[in-house]
Amino acid sequence: MTLWDLKQGTSATVQSFVSTLESRYKTRLSELGFHPGESISCVLSPSLGAPKLYRVNNSVYSLDDSVASLIEVGSAAGNAA
Amino acid sequence: MSKTILIGSPNSGKSLLFNRLTGLNQKVANFPGITVNINTGKSLAHPANEFLDYPGAYSLQAISGEEKVAVEAFYTALEDSEISTVVCVVDVTRLEKGLIFALQVINACAEKQKPLVIAANMIDVLEQHNLDLDLAGLERTLGVPVVAVSAKSGSGLEQLQDTVINHRDLPTTYDSDFIASDESITHRQAQQLAEEFGPKGDLLINAQTRLDAFFLHSWYGGLSFLVIMYLLFQSIFTWAAPVMDGVESSLQFMAELILPLLPEGIISDFTADAIFGGIGAFLVFVPQIFVLTLIVGMLEDSGYLARAAVICHKPLRLFGLTGKSFIPMLSSVACAIPGIYAARTVDSPRKRWLTYLAIPLMPCSARLPVYSLLIAAFIPASNMFGGLIGWQGLAMFGIYVFGIVCGLLVTSLVSRTNKNMQSDLPFVLEMSPYRLPSWRPLLRNAWGRSKHFVTKAGKVIFLVTVAIWILGYFPNQGADLGQSWLGTMGQWIEPAFAPFGLDWKYGVAIITSFLAREVFVGTLGTLFGIEGGEENIISLAEHIQNSGLPVGAGFALLVFFSIALQCISTLAVLSKETGSWRLPAQLFVSYSIFAYTAAWLTFNIVQAIAA
Repeated sequence: MTLWDLKQGTSATVQSFVSTLESRYKTRLSELGFHPGESISCVLSPSLGAPKLYRVNNSVYSLDDSVASLIEVGSAAGNAA
Repeated sequence: MSKTILIGSPNSGKSLLFNRLTGLNQKVANFPGITVNINTGKSLAHPANEFLDYPGAYSLQAISGEEKVAVEAFYTALEDSEISTVVCVVDVTRLEKGLIFALQVINACAEKQKPLVIAANMIDVLEQHNLDLDLAGLERTLGVPVVAVSAKSGSGLEQLQDTVINHRDLPTTYDSDFIASDESITHRQAQQLAEEFGPKGDLLINAQTRLDAFFLHSWYGGLSFLVIMYLLFQSIFTWAAPVMDGVESSLQFMAELILPLLPEGIISDFTADAIFGGIGAFLVFVPQIFVLTLIVGMLEDSGYLARAAVICHKPLRLFGLTGKSFIPMLSSVACAIPGIYAARTVDSPRKRWLTYLAIPLMPCSARLPVYSLLIAAFIPASNMFGGLIGWQGLAMFGIYVFGIVCGLLVTSLVSRTNKNMQSDLPFVLEMSPYRLPSWRPLLRNAWGRSKHFVTKAGKVIFLVTVAIWILGYFPNQGADLGQSWLGTMGQWIEPAFAPFGLDWKYGVAIITSFLAREVFVGTLGTLFGIEGGEENIISLAEHIQNSGLPVGAGFALLVFFSIALQCISTLAVLSKETGSWRLPAQLFVSYSIFAYTAAWLTFNIVQAIAA
């Protein structure tokens, strides 16, 4: 399951990055909070395939499918805060 | 003189803090990475100390070209003996994110033995919501001074400046616990510090999420986006119109006052035609530039533009662009030059290159005087739906949309046929908090942009206006424009513009406008002024209406100006940003051919319909 598969209002834990993702982008995503072990919640999932909004701690980021589908997450851990 | 570096993440409020500390008018934007240059200014409280505003960065481990430049400049500055202190600005409403960056800065400062002060910004937001922050605990644990400030309200600034001055003389020692080489350790430390000392609860983030649910909703979000963009263009007319009328009346009043005092002959003719006719015709459009800059700035500072980038991402991706291209493209609506600079925020080299292709086609404010003049001359000033929608406003909206559509078609075509730089960066955009914009910096910025526009373009316009007046006045002292040097030149080039119904005067104005688009208006003002003799002070649009120009030619001119790349400054900045003249030269030639062909087609279609 990837971050892009996460439904609005649910959260999951980052497990790893897809191996094809360049290391510099892995570092940046980690710095923004998308690092293994971190809990991420999907706060908004607009229709028509628009980028989704993900909350990491007290920050919200918008990721499109080209990057959210490169972050592998654990099974949904329930409703987002 | 001692120097202090200001550094922080995008949206930490660093640029507004810099303005407050120095009294300078630097553009503040609530959008990631808008600051791309290093600005300097003397401290208001301690003039012997100078602040250096470094570009906002997410990390000292750069991954984009823009970040690399900023980070390298920061490390180089740390070697400079004149740098006495570093101030790291942290947004306390998003403490963990700010602390990750602050811990990286602590590492860098520890390595170079530079004193550091942390400015805990946006403390006013926490106070408004009765949220607490344990500043003393954070300061004790980190071992560096932490000063609570609000760049917006101005609270804590005096204490920050005193701390900067006092701290620079203290010996520099850092807690080795926070000097980590591993990124995951830094992240864990920031998380622990934010949990222990930061505000508790989800109040702020929940409020932001509720607003995002509205502004990014499939229907309400799209609708509000369209309404905001439409209001933006209507307001250029409705808000600026009274001021424009005022400028026009003032110019007329001044002309009536001054001209009778001058001796008849060359001086009187020059003042009437070149000064009031040529330069006056350009000045009258400055209020529109002011209003446009003000509204775009308001949208930036409120945080709405980041949402607009999300809304635009999916559609822009269809044209080979990214949602991040939206900001440079929208900035180009004011002026292509800041748009080109803003394109540095597009971290993908390929997407940035494609954004460069679209920027010259965005309807910049230099086109505004030309559009306004042609619309005033060819579109009736009547309204429909009880005055709700004006035909002229609708025409302006249409020509703006036309330029944008042309830009998107070009990037779409090129992105599908050109395979250069295929490696792309992912789309990750921080959703900055919604904030009420501060009016003072916005007004000062709009004033500064208008002033810069007038002074920058004014020099070129004055020189071109004088040159054209001389060419049109001599050798027969303005007796017959057709027999003047300019008239002779115009006859030579007339065949080139005849296919879209334009006579030599418009040909001359188009050629001079390749220096800068708005010169077109000044040139026509001078040309009609010379021809009109003493009656030149009547509106230029009326002169055009009375000249019998076919309606197809008016539309052809609108289309020509929306495509052709007539701006030396844009070409120069583009060559600087791309490192060569190759792209500007390619764009200049291809857009000139495109503009000429499209104008010819427009003329024939409109004339056929009108017939």
